[in-house]
Parts: sequence; C-alpha cells; structure tokens
Amino acid sequence: MPEAGTERLKASFLVPLFQRYGLYIFLLFLVIASAALSPHFLTAENIEDILNQAAPLGMAAIGQCFVILTGGLDLSVASVMATVAVLATALGAGGDAMAVPIFALGIILGSVVGLVNGYLVTKRKVSPFLATLAVMIVLQGLRFAYTKGAPSGILPPVFRTLGTSSFFGVPINLIALAFLSAVFAVILYRTTYGRKLYLTGGNPRAAYLSGINADGVVILAYVICGVFAALAGLFLVGYTGSVDNWVGKGYELDSIAAVVMGGASFKGGQGGIWGSLGGVIVLIIIFNLVLLLGLPVQAQMIVKGLVIILASAFYLTRKT
Amino acid sequence: MRAAHLAINRLVDPSLAIVLAILAALVITGSVLSEDFGTLRNFLNVVEQSVSLGFVSLGQTLVILTGGIDLSIGALINLSSCLTSGLVGGKPALVVPVVLGILLIGVLVGALNGTLIITLGVHPLIVTLGMMSILQGLTLIYTLQPPGAMPAQFEFLAYGRILGVPFGALIMILLFVGVGYFLRRIRLGRYIFAVGGNPEAARLSGISTSRMIIFVYAACGFFAALTGVYLVSRMGIGDPWMGQGYELASITPVVVGGTILAGGKGGVWGTLAGVFLISFLNNLLNFMDVSSFYQWIAQGLIIIVAVSFYYERNG
Repeated sequence: MPEAGTERLKASFLVPLFQRYGLYIFLLFLVIASAALSPHFLTAENIEDILNQAAPLGMAAIGQCFVILTGGLDLSVASVMATVAVLATALGAGGDAMAVPIFALGIILGSVVGLVNGYLVTKRKVSPFLATLAVMIVLQGLRFAYTKGAPSGILPPVFRTLGTSSFFGVPINLIALAFLSAVFAVILYRTTYGRKLYLTGGNPRAAYLSGINADGVVILAYVICGVFAALAGLFLVGYTGSVDNWVGKGYELDSIAAVVMGGASFKGGQGGIWGSLGGVIVLIIIFNLVLLLGLPVQAQMIVKGLVIILASAFYLTRKT
Repeated sequence: MRAAHLAINRLVDPSLAIVLAILAALVITGSVLSEDFGTLRNFLNVVEQSVSLGFVSLGQTLVILTGGIDLSIGALINLSSCLTSGLVGGKPALVVPVVLGILLIGVLVGALNGTLIITLGVHPLIVTLGMMSILQGLTLIYTLQPPGAMPAQFEFLAYGRILGVPFGALIMILLFVGVGYFLRRIRLGRYIFAVGGNPEAARLSGISTSRMIIFVYAACGFFAALTGVYLVSRMGIGDPWMGQGYELASITPVVVGGTILAGGKGGVWGTLAGVFLISFLNNLLNFMDVSSFYQWIAQGLIIIVAVSFYYERNG
C-alpha cells in the first residue's frame, strides 16, 4: 500500500481534516459544482425531489451502518426489500385497513432475516459476506417460488400517499427518515448499546473481556438492519408505486457504498449514521445532476462508480 | 504408513475431500433418482454448462486467495460480450484480433482495479463495486441491445466437441490445471498465498505485495473477458446484461470449495469441484422438475452448510 505518499501527507494539517470530514467536504464540492452546472439544482422543488428519493436508500443505509460497525456487511438488504414489497401487494387486497398488518409483518420478516444472519455470523462463524449472500439467495428463491415469477395483488393506496405526499410542505418520506435517523442516532451515540456496538466492532476481544455479550450486540445489529431494509422496501414501493420481484435491486451495494463513503471501515468500529446519510445524499445528487444536465442515464452509472471510489479514497490513511 | 498418510494429505486436502464427497453423493443420488441423469451424455452436458461458471470462478479464486474480492466481473462480461460481437460484426477475419483485444481489455481493467486498490487504499469491495458501475455504464453507452453478429463457426468454442468432449470444457480443464500448477509449483503462485495469509510477513520477506495484487486482479479480468467471449459463442451474440449476477455466482464455488474469504487458504481444485457441485445440483433439480426458484434456495443452503461445516472442522 502507498506508504511513502501517505507518510509525507501525514505532516500536512489537511489530513486530520479530510479524515474527519472527508465526505462533507466532498459533498460541499459536489453541491457547489452542481449549482454551477445547473441553475435548476438549488431550487426548492429540486431539493425536495432529492430528499424524497433519498429516504428509502437512507433507511437501508442506516441499517447497513449498524452492521458495518460490527465489522460485517449485509447483502440481503435488497432481497428483504423486495420480499416485503411482494408481501405487501399480496396482502393489499384488503385495502388501507391492511397497512398496519403489512408494516407489522414487514418488521417481523426483517427481524427474522436479521436473526438468521446474526445467528450464522456469530454462532456459526460464517463470514458476514457469505452468510448474508446465502440468505439473500434463499430469500430470493422463496420469493419467486411464492410469486411464481410475477407478483400479483395491489398495493394499498395509503402506501402511495405515504411515499408521495407532503405534510406542511415536507415530504412524508423525509419526515420518516428524519425521525428514524434521530431515534437511531440517539441509540447509537447515547445508549450503552451504541457504546457496546462501537467497542465490539472496533475490538471484539476487548469487548468480550469487558463482559459484553458481543454475540448479542452483533445479532441485534443485523436485526436492526433487517427491519430497516423492510421499511426501506415499503417506502420505496410507496414512492415508485410499482412492485416486482426485484424491488430495491442494487440497494444492498449502494447502501454499503454510502456507509463506506461516510467514513466507515469494513474492519468495524468506525463510521456513523450522519456520514452514511451524507453518502446517500452524494449518490442521489449524482443521479439528480446527470438528469438535470440532460446526460444519458448511462453516464449516471459511470459517474456513480467514479464517485464511490473517489469519495471512499477521501479518507486518506484511515486504514490501519 | 505415516509417509503415505502425509502424501495423501498433500494430494487431497481435507476441504477438497469434503466437497468431493458431497459431489459424489449428489451424483449417486441423482443416478438413483433419475435414469437420464446418470448417463455419459448428461454428464458431458453438465460439464459443458459449467464452463462459464468455471472461468469466472477461477479468476475469483485467485483474487480471494489474496483476501480480496472482485464485484466487477459481471459488468466486465457484459462489456466484453458486447464488444466481441459488435466489433466482429460477422466478419470471420476479425474474430482472432478482436478476441485477443477483448482479452487484453479484461487484463487492463483488472490491472486498473488492482492499481486503484493499492494506490487509493480503498477496500477491494468498494473499488470493484465502483468499477462494476463504470463498466456497466460504458457497456450501455456502447449498446442497449445485442450488437453485431458472429460467424457461424465461432459456435465451436461453446458447442464443438473433440473426441466427444466439449471444447470449452477442455479449455476450462486446461486452465485449471495451468493455474493449479502455477499456484503450487511456481514461486509467483506461492506468493499469492503469502500475500493473502499474512501481507505484512509477505512484504517483509521481500515480496512485492502491490504487484501480486495487481496481478491477481488482472488475471481475474482476463477470465471475466474470456467468459464474455465464451458466452457470445454460446448465445451467438453479446448482450449488455448477459453477465449479470456472475460477480456473486462466481464466489459460491470458490467458498464451497474451501477457499476462505480472508485469503491465504484454498485452491483451484476445490473451486472446480464447487463448480461441478452447483452445475450437477441444478441439473438434477431440473430432471426432477423442480423449478429454478428452488435451485436458488438449494444454492443458498449449500453455502451455509459448507461454510459452517468447514468452520466446525477448523475450529
């Protein structure tokens, strides 16, 4: 790895700044550049658009953040999103009355998937990548077997309302995300569970020696991730209004990218909710900017790829 | 006795023995359950169908041995398949230069992955995820639907038989033998294990870990491009989505074959056994008229069982 180059840079006062605020500096550059490139970018309408789209990915990223803090990752996020969406339409025939049961069922499903992931990772010592990959594939098989390839049923109208309406001018999507971020930021930064999570992720041995039930901490992180994936799935179909077997496709990897761009390390114990949400906003701004500039959608993918790599690299020398 | 025991141990390492045992059990069960399954004709078909998975998994094995991972494989297959049929455009004279060019592109893309990982210090998962997005974007800028055409003879790569053995499978076996020999008998190959097992020790003993990492990603890029070319031969034309899912599918045989994601342990023979295991399993489920949806479930369960089984044994 680039020892020589980073040694020289270490002397510079910029390094601690980049290490801590890398993503936010990047985000600032991105916003300035976007505003310069497109006059439409900083209009209230466009900002609302961006934030509205950020909600489902933001939810997925918060959950992913908890898991990455343990030193793991969760590839089953998108599969949970699609499965919950498929279940929502299957039960949706009952109309809006089914909304609460659908939410409850989604949360239960997300928790069960999280429990399985967490069990495999902690008790069976399966690497998180493989455990969640296997669960993703199994869930996909179950979903397709259940839908026979094409989901049927209808989404209760209330989901569409949740996904597209505003409350006093603020999108409901965004209110939900803000509320969940606030609650889980408190859990992460102000409760003993949060402390234990950082310690377990950063130094599992020390956590174990200080009497922390490390397995329990890790399993709970996977459960939180599963529940957030379920919520992300419901809000996403509420926003887009369409359900198929691949709802949320790519969200597992995009959410990982967002969390890592936000300063997390796969080694665990580093990163946090606000950085992850910053990463989400970066990804959404890129989509938005490419559209505003009238570039072909393919350009989106190229820019996204470059930004994922570069934004992650912004955290110079963070790796140990 | 002891010498013999050691020799056997060296010849067949324990995780390979396990996956071979599972494979054997599967083949025997299949032959009992279905008359058509246990025929030479079907076996050759299965082998033929496993070629593309074999190619990508071979590359992924090298990367995983260093403790890395390559998620850009699927998008690279898409790009190379489209460029192959698009650039050849049905002209037989162009086949050889274009295919060589595509393989070179694969090597370069892989080398770029490795270089970015080294110079930026960003985790391989993130670098190759970004690369996946970039390559897919480039593919879709080049074409939105299957482009160009291939001369009819090009089919030989996928469907040709030499003395009854599928041509593609022969190439696959040769590549596995070559890489297997390289890993075990060539110094450079042994370095790959050293880099994956203990990068710091490898560096201190004078191995250029950076160069080894660039090398394995370049090799992985090569195998992905080869898979793209092979799939063009199979389907008759490139397709901007034909490689989708291969990035994760290529990991399954590797880990089922006993190579650990942390790096430094494993090998190509386990991977080959893993490839056959998955191909035979899907084939058997097809014979039993089980829908492909359940094949996914079976595959996921195999990963869990195999990996937690290896842990039990090692732990």
